[in-house]
Amino acid sequence: MFSSFDISTSGLVAQRMRLNAISSNLANMSTTRNELGEAEPYTPRFVTMATDASLSTRGGGNGVRIASVEHSTVEPLRKYEPGHPDADVDGYVAYPNVDMTTEFVDALQATRAYEANIGVIEITKDLGAQSLRIVA
Amino acid sequence: MLPSLFDNSTIPVLEQVVNFAQQRHGVLAGNIANIDTPGYKTRDLSPDLFQDRLKQAIEARDNKTSASMTMTSSHLDSLKHVGDNLTAMLHHDDSDVSIETQVTELAKNQGMHNLAIGIMTSQFSLMEVAISERV
Repeated sequence: MFSSFDISTSGLVAQRMRLNAISSNLANMSTTRNELGEAEPYTPRFVTMATDASLSTRGGGNGVRIASVEHSTVEPLRKYEPGHPDADVDGYVAYPNVDMTTEFVDALQATRAYEANIGVIEITKDLGAQSLRIVA
Repeated sequence: MLPSLFDNSTIPVLEQVVNFAQQRHGVLAGNIANIDTPGYKTRDLSPDLFQDRLKQAIEARDNKTSASMTMTSSHLDSLKHVGDNLTAMLHHDDSDVSIETQVTELAKNQGMHNLAIGIMTSQFSLMEVAISERV
């Protein structure tokens, strides 16, 4: 019974990491420079998840873990803004290719998945309480 | 007379379980209180180690056939095991507390505590039936 708690917790942690990546993408949707102040647009981050065999139940249930945080390979958006300090010789500024709609839908999905895991934890706790009613 | 009345039941064992659960609850609450403390390392009492010590103590009691339970010394060892938990994920700000993990551990601990209290309650009510000679 306790291992199903751990599985649900791994889901919570994974979904929170995903939400962190989404908030990072939205916060940096206009970032045109890197940490060193050089003109380099921010690349959107993706969190990839993998099943975690170290968290498993006898029934075949598996936990989840963060496999990696990948950078998007999509080309940056080029806006014509001559006079911008980060503009290239043709007057174009490279902006991060962050699609706000996609990010919001992903955030909503991550939130729902988090809630679903909380729901499973509540059910697991309830099952334990029901079993306790047999002995006490 | 009274000690032997209790010592032949599982009440002393359950007492140790409740004791451990309450101690561990305090440690886990401390982890959540320090959720934003830079450099804080998660602390925990090992339930597995506690179960091992408890098992040894029960076996020792059964072998000795003496009524008194000599659990206190070995039990204290498992309580002393407030070591730094190095297996947890280390965050970049040197704080490795994951709120989800800690809350889950609290829920598990609560389950163990409630189980022990529940069994203890039913044992006492059985004893009450015997004393009062009423069902």
